Amino acid sequence: MNHEEASELLPALALNAVEGDERSAAEEHVAGCPHCQSELDWLIDVAGAVGTTVEPLPDDLWSKISSRLYEDRGQHETPSMPLAKEVGIVAPAHRQRPSRRPRAQLMPIVVGVAAVIVAVLTFQIVRADEHASSLQRALNASARNEVAAALATPGRVLVSLNGASHERLAQFVMLPDGRGYLVSSKLPTLDAGETYQLWGVIDGKSISIGLMGRSPSSIAFTVSGPPQPSELAVTVEPSGGTATPTSPILAAGLT
Amino acid sequence: MQDFSEASDPQLVTSIGRYNEVALAEVYRRHGGAVFGLARRVLDNVTEAEDVTQEVFLRLWNEPERFDPSRGSLRSFLLAQSHARSVDVIRSQNARRAREAKDAMKTATRTYDMQNEAWDLTVAYQVTQALAGLPIDERRAIELAYFEGRTYVQVAQILNQPEGTVKSRIRSGMRRMRGALIDAGVKEVNQL
Repeated sequence: MNHEEASELLPALALNAVEGDERSAAEEHVAGCPHCQSELDWLIDVAGAVGTTVEPLPDDLWSKISSRLYEDRGQHETPSMPLAKEVGIVAPAHRQRPSRRPRAQLMPIVVGVAAVIVAVLTFQIVRADEHASSLQRALNASARNEVAAALATPGRVLVSLNGASHERLAQFVMLPDGRGYLVSSKLPTLDAGETYQLWGVIDGKSISIGLMGRSPSSIAFTVSGPPQPSELAVTVEPSGGTATPTSPILAAGLT
Repeated sequence: MQDFSEASDPQLVTSIGRYNEVALAEVYRRHGGAVFGLARRVLDNVTEAEDVTQEVFLRLWNEPERFDPSRGSLRSFLLAQSHARSVDVIRSQNARRAREAKDAMKTATRTYDMQNEAWDLTVAYQVTQALAGLPIDERRAIELAYFEGRTYVQVAQILNQPEGTVKSRIRSGMRRMRGALIDAGVKEVNQL
């Protein structure tokens, strides 16, 4: 399946409305196409919003889930009471404990259990390593929440910064109190030794607002005013930034 | 006991990766109702919806690395899992047979219900407005696919429209929904 065909299918794919070989072919293309992957991500996000409806949970559903947490591993029973309290659900009154085995069989079992514990601990360490970067992603998510909150603030202004060909390269949201956030960016990653620098144009003069780094993602700033800038602009500068723009304006937009 | 009430969703998933059951319980507390609600809406069956909800949370427990916070919210991720599994159930032989009895009247009723049900508090008004604001052809195509579990080919047959037209209408409707939700500040803009 080529890119165009896959791209046409993405909205239906996000709704799980494609099946069989066609679905497999589309998913295969998406797996190797960052553009389609990104498109599918937001489509799934929208589908999630459409499908958001909350119903009261059945009383015993969490108990069913918690009792199956170690089912595949046959590891041990799940300590459900804290969990049940945590989610405000009454825990089952009785939990079956494993039956006691004869002492003669104990040693091989102990060895076996020890091996299982070692294996589980090793697996947990691997999983912990795999998720180490999630902490950073959590911070990014927190930044996105700030952007979302800014977008929902009354009086906020969206500022699109367009390039020479009128393509939108970045978008900021500015709040009445002078705070601003990068909403989205298509600015390509710069080489080492360079940085994007954000400028505010006040009375015809470019005032540095701050450095955006080589690959802008989460940017927050505050413009103390008044006056507030009439325009935002981005240039490419040497890392460390400059006092005044030393290169042509890459993208700009009126506030 | 650890208190995860202030933890972000990605932090909770990180803790789930370390087999922290309290973290999973907190995710369940936050999103279980939505996961169950969507499954129940699609399946129209409480028992099957419970099974789907169990599968969704057990899969998160066993494969937390499948969630990538850079690609969307945990709520969206879990709802996508819930919907996909629900659709699988619908398309199984038995569920399909049961659903054959549902006719276009049922769809019309569900459409009406959909616009009047209680949505998640934070997005209720905006989502309802965005859906109501869609042209009827786009809304019908999305509803049939998403809430009835139909393929786009089946949607085309039901609506007596070319498959290409249905794909276009779903795409157009989704774009309108996205724009409306962004304008309302409900959804983040991850890319231009």
